[in-house]
Amino acid sequence: MASWKVKHKSSGTPGTLNMGKPHIFEFETYQDMHACRDVINKAFAYCESLKSNSVLQTWSYASRFSEKISNELQILHKELVQSKVQKMNFWSRRKELLGKYSIGKWKQRVGLMASSIKPSTDGRTNRVTFNLTPEIIFQIFNERPAVSQAFLNYVPSKMTEKDFWTKYFRAEYHYSTKNTAVAEAEAAEDEVLSVFLKPDEILAQEARPKIRRVDPSLDMVADQGDDYSHTMDLVEPQNDQFGRRSLSQDINRHSATVLEDRCIDVESDDSRTIAEALTLAKQDVESDDSRTIAEALTLAKQVSKATKDAYQERLEKLSRAIVMEDLKEPQNFSFVPLSTKDPRDYFESQQGIVLNEPRVTWDSKRNVHDAYRSLKEPVVQIRTKGLSAPFINPEVSFKVLSELTQTISDANTLNGKNQPESVLDRLPKSMKHDILHHWALIQELLRHFWSSYPITSTYLSTKVGRLNDAMLNIDSQLEAMKEPVRSDIRHEVSSPVCSMQKVSFFRYIDKEFYVMNQIVDGS
Amino acid sequence: MFNKTLLVIEVSLSLVNNTQASILAGNFAKCSDSNLAGHWRRRKKMIFKIEDVTVYFPYDNIYPEQYEYMVELKRALDAKGHCLLEMPTGTGKTIALLSLITSYRLSRPDSPIKLVYCTRTVHEMEKTLGELKILHDYQLTHLGAQAKILALGLSSRKNLCVNSKVLAAENRDSVDAACRKRTASWVRALAAENPNVQLCDYFESYEKAADNALLPPGVYTLEDLRAFGKNRGWCPYFLARHMVQFANVIVYSYQYLLDPKVAGIISKELQKESVIVFDEAHNIDNVCIEALSVSVRRVTLEGANRNLNKIRQEIDRFKATDAGRLRAEYNRLIEGLALRGDLSGTDQWLANPALPNDILKEAVPGNIRRAEHFVHVLRRLLQYLGGRLDTENVEKESPVSFVSSLNSQAGIEQKTLKFCYDRLHSLMMTLEITDTDEFLPIQTVCDFATLVGTYARGFSIIIEPYDERMPHIPDPILQLSCHDASLAIKPVFDRFQSVVITSGTLSPIDLYPRLLSFNPVVSRSFKMSMTRDCICPMVLTRGSDQLPVSTKFDMRSDPGVVRNYGKLLVEMVSVVPDGVVCFFVSYSYMDGIIATWNETGILKEITQQKLVFFETQDVVETTLALDNYRRACDCGRGAVFFSVARGKVAEGIDFDRHYGRLVVMFGVPFQYTLSKILLARLEYLRDTFQIKEGDFLTFDALRQAAQCVGRVIRSKADYGMMIFADKRYSRHDKRSKLPGWILSHLRDAHLNLSTDMAIHIAREFLRKMAQPYDKTGTMGRKTLLTQEDLEKMAETGVQDMVY
Repeated sequence: MASWKVKHKSSGTPGTLNMGKPHIFEFETYQDMHACRDVINKAFAYCESLKSNSVLQTWSYASRFSEKISNELQILHKELVQSKVQKMNFWSRRKELLGKYSIGKWKQRVGLMASSIKPSTDGRTNRVTFNLTPEIIFQIFNERPAVSQAFLNYVPSKMTEKDFWTKYFRAEYHYSTKNTAVAEAEAAEDEVLSVFLKPDEILAQEARPKIRRVDPSLDMVADQGDDYSHTMDLVEPQNDQFGRRSLSQDINRHSATVLEDRCIDVESDDSRTIAEALTLAKQDVESDDSRTIAEALTLAKQVSKATKDAYQERLEKLSRAIVMEDLKEPQNFSFVPLSTKDPRDYFESQQGIVLNEPRVTWDSKRNVHDAYRSLKEPVVQIRTKGLSAPFINPEVSFKVLSELTQTISDANTLNGKNQPESVLDRLPKSMKHDILHHWALIQELLRHFWSSYPITSTYLSTKVGRLNDAMLNIDSQLEAMKEPVRSDIRHEVSSPVCSMQKVSFFRYIDKEFYVMNQIVDGS
Repeated sequence: MFNKTLLVIEVSLSLVNNTQASILAGNFAKCSDSNLAGHWRRRKKMIFKIEDVTVYFPYDNIYPEQYEYMVELKRALDAKGHCLLEMPTGTGKTIALLSLITSYRLSRPDSPIKLVYCTRTVHEMEKTLGELKILHDYQLTHLGAQAKILALGLSSRKNLCVNSKVLAAENRDSVDAACRKRTASWVRALAAENPNVQLCDYFESYEKAADNALLPPGVYTLEDLRAFGKNRGWCPYFLARHMVQFANVIVYSYQYLLDPKVAGIISKELQKESVIVFDEAHNIDNVCIEALSVSVRRVTLEGANRNLNKIRQEIDRFKATDAGRLRAEYNRLIEGLALRGDLSGTDQWLANPALPNDILKEAVPGNIRRAEHFVHVLRRLLQYLGGRLDTENVEKESPVSFVSSLNSQAGIEQKTLKFCYDRLHSLMMTLEITDTDEFLPIQTVCDFATLVGTYARGFSIIIEPYDERMPHIPDPILQLSCHDASLAIKPVFDRFQSVVITSGTLSPIDLYPRLLSFNPVVSRSFKMSMTRDCICPMVLTRGSDQLPVSTKFDMRSDPGVVRNYGKLLVEMVSVVPDGVVCFFVSYSYMDGIIATWNETGILKEITQQKLVFFETQDVVETTLALDNYRRACDCGRGAVFFSVARGKVAEGIDFDRHYGRLVVMFGVPFQYTLSKILLARLEYLRDTFQIKEGDFLTFDALRQAAQCVGRVIRSKADYGMMIFADKRYSRHDKRSKLPGWILSHLRDAHLNLSTDMAIHIAREFLRKMAQPYDKTGTMGRKTLLTQEDLEKMAETGVQDMVY
């Protein structure tokens, strides 16, 4: 393709292509321009579709969340979108937020099994046809590393891809018709064909280290060591080199690859790239393993440490299998069932436990610092000495954790949010609901507010203005809500909401607005 | 994991605020753990009296059946007799057994008994020793030094060796050989002159330490032994073998007591005051029979011929270089000892395959004293066996007639045959052969010769030109099969004070004493005290189309049955969460039915719900498949495992908790009834023990079925369903042979189900199991006893409290 420059300013040179968007492309000649027009058009069309897609995706994300959350979203949407925030903005912010929760994109792949590829016949001639797609090729390579290896070795240096696959399916066909005698005869003459017919050597090599990592309760190989009555069965040479692969082995292999869940990032129809990517992916996993082991060794500075860890792990596994939980005394911990409906209940119940314990009233600030200092010490130690088994003394961590919980609950008591009756609980139900609703609204508004920082355009400044209005509106609503409430808690009604508002919002908004106005006026 | 946390710390130094929380969170769990442990130690575990014995039990509570089990066991120990105890899996047999026997030992300090605990698998061995460790720690805290014992596991070199070069070998025999190549006495003598000869450092330093090489008291699993050996630089295998004579508790495989080849070298010196325990002993008769059976194939004979050629060459070489050695051997044989008595441990090979009482202690017959002559005799033997393998019909013969025809046709006398094994062993020692794994074929032939020369009763020789199931492939096999399980176990019963045979499935319990011909002083079957109905057995007789299902010979290939079985599984995998295990009656049946399911798309429907794994005849592949199966159960919608009754998986692998919520037994796992060996055994059982053929076959099939379905439940907190999918299970004569603990949960309404009804019951059951329950028992039945309960029981009598 001809070289071309992208400029954002239009100029009088001959090849100017104005796409009606804020992009103007400048070309050396007209020919170049014509050549590129299609490409650019396509690119823009693609970008457009992406944008609308992203909104749709956000919706689908939202619908994945539980009913309740999406209900809230709908209310928020209704409240905000019409007046205060533009629709696009609302969803793009949401998408970013939700993006954090989604586990990451993964494609659903079709469940194929390499051996289940059936030929089609036309019914008249003796011809069988196999249809190959990149997915099938990927699956074959994944389930049979030896085939993948053979492909890399032989194609295209020794044979064409077509020949390779013809040979492969020839061998497969012999299998499926259980015609092993023919297969053996052909394999004896043909090196490549024999690769397909023999049991997979690469898999066999991989099996050995895997066996060592197997859970000891499954280690049937170890049992062979004590079995003296089947001595001869063990050494019996397995002379049937070919035709030993059975359906059950194939299915085992297939399920194992499903579990491995090996993905490659290659979107390609080229078999060779697929094969290479697969080998790479596998090497990555292996080298990852070896690297982490190597790191562990150097860090621990003791070779025996790693084996000791493995030993420890085996011991733990064993002891878990041994101990009969039933026979132990039931351990009655005070616990609150974790419910995602209202996380506050869970959080506060923890503080309740702390509060029930007798406590000397200290200056809580000093305690936090104390706790922090005691934590700092081991951290410094770790830096100098490296890790040792419990890297932080249990007593220290317990102290720190209980101290923090204590501090939080103290703070809550001061704020009047103490157990068992928080301010919110003392209010009528509808009001509590309203306050929570406002709280969510303000959060959303604040998000938008901060995302429009720094204010560089008039568009943003009007947006901020709108947000400000909305905020003030909520404030007045809150004031109205306070009216009927008892005087002693009147202040506290708005305090959880207002503190948030005041701290972050108004303090800045006035200042910024002033500055902004200055700039806008000045220009 | 280790280095990951380290990375977190590195980061935390710059972002203290952020990571504080995560470190704290991690340690909080640890902290509460250690608090818990302290708490747990402070709490009183159980000490109670059974008559005059103070029993130490390392838990806070005890199941009533465990207590009863101990009471019965103590009666047997007091009577110095043998006993037979059946108790369901998951009720803590092992810990009950261990704590009673060790406590019994402590209460009789003047005549300490030794405990020999036999398990089927290495994993069970490790588990038993792990439980003993907990118990031992508890006894130590209570009694101090007087409770100290030495307990160890023993296995083959393959599982104990720590020399990486030796371990590189593939199987047991090559590991053994690789060890001999470095440790045999003549190799070590050679190494003294020639520094290039490779030795094993671990063995050398073990030898150097000589009598000081001892294990301090404690409980050693195989893992611990290896760790100890590596640490000290001593060979763990020879150390363990040496320590067997001092140990108070030995845990090893059945074969180490029952197979005379192994028992002859390992268990020779055990004292009479020992308690022998066979755990999971429901198949003990088969182990006994296999220990005395030998089979010879074409490949064996070919290999043996090659071995003889090699031996012949060696003899010639020695004649040229060191004729004195052969002469010395000849002189020794005249003196009447086949083997020198002072063989060092490393030179020992497998001992004589015949039982100790039947081995002749006399001079080796003159015609095989000379090495060449012996080789000639073996050649003639091989030739004769080769000729017999050429048969076109199945032949069955008694050892007596076989020996007489061998005498008339090949001129080998019975007495000569009897000495074959020891003579071969002596010769190989003289020729300084270390790669013993290469000589397995000739060893097998000599095994055969010695056994056939020794035993006239309880054996038969069966020659089959091909496998019945594959008549078109010639695969001749000559088998010396033992029919009498009591032969191999008789020396054990005679030699030791108490033998305990125990398992979850020993029903019908009166059959075992007849099969093994012994008189137990105690023989009891215990029920399981359940807090809730955590097992749900069902008999499925019809498919969803109401047609009967069965694996009966005339029905098994019926497409309707295959389809109905498939539909059952398809429906079940969509209802049952996590793991599902299926057992088939044989490999060939499984392969057939899977192929059909694959063609008809049933398999595809199953894979839409769960991943599918198979047991194959290859142990390595099966192990990996099991590992993957467990991972699939851990992390997703679960998996289905297809396995075979009588296979290795059915014998030794647990599918507890979410690894098995449903087990389906497709068909009744009868033995292949046309097998000549089985027919010969049935005939023998009928003539000798008056056990009817049908009875034995049903008993055998049902114990296998019970074994398969029993895999699914390993503790009382566990739950699982069992489906017996065959119409024959609804018949009383079949069903009644199931163990009592399964029968007591088999309701009449569940005896004749079709697929849709079974699905309905499964749904109900799973819902019920999801509810919380009270562990200590409801409705007046106590299922967990505390120390106070036991003390009360001692006053009022046992029966009032239990059940």
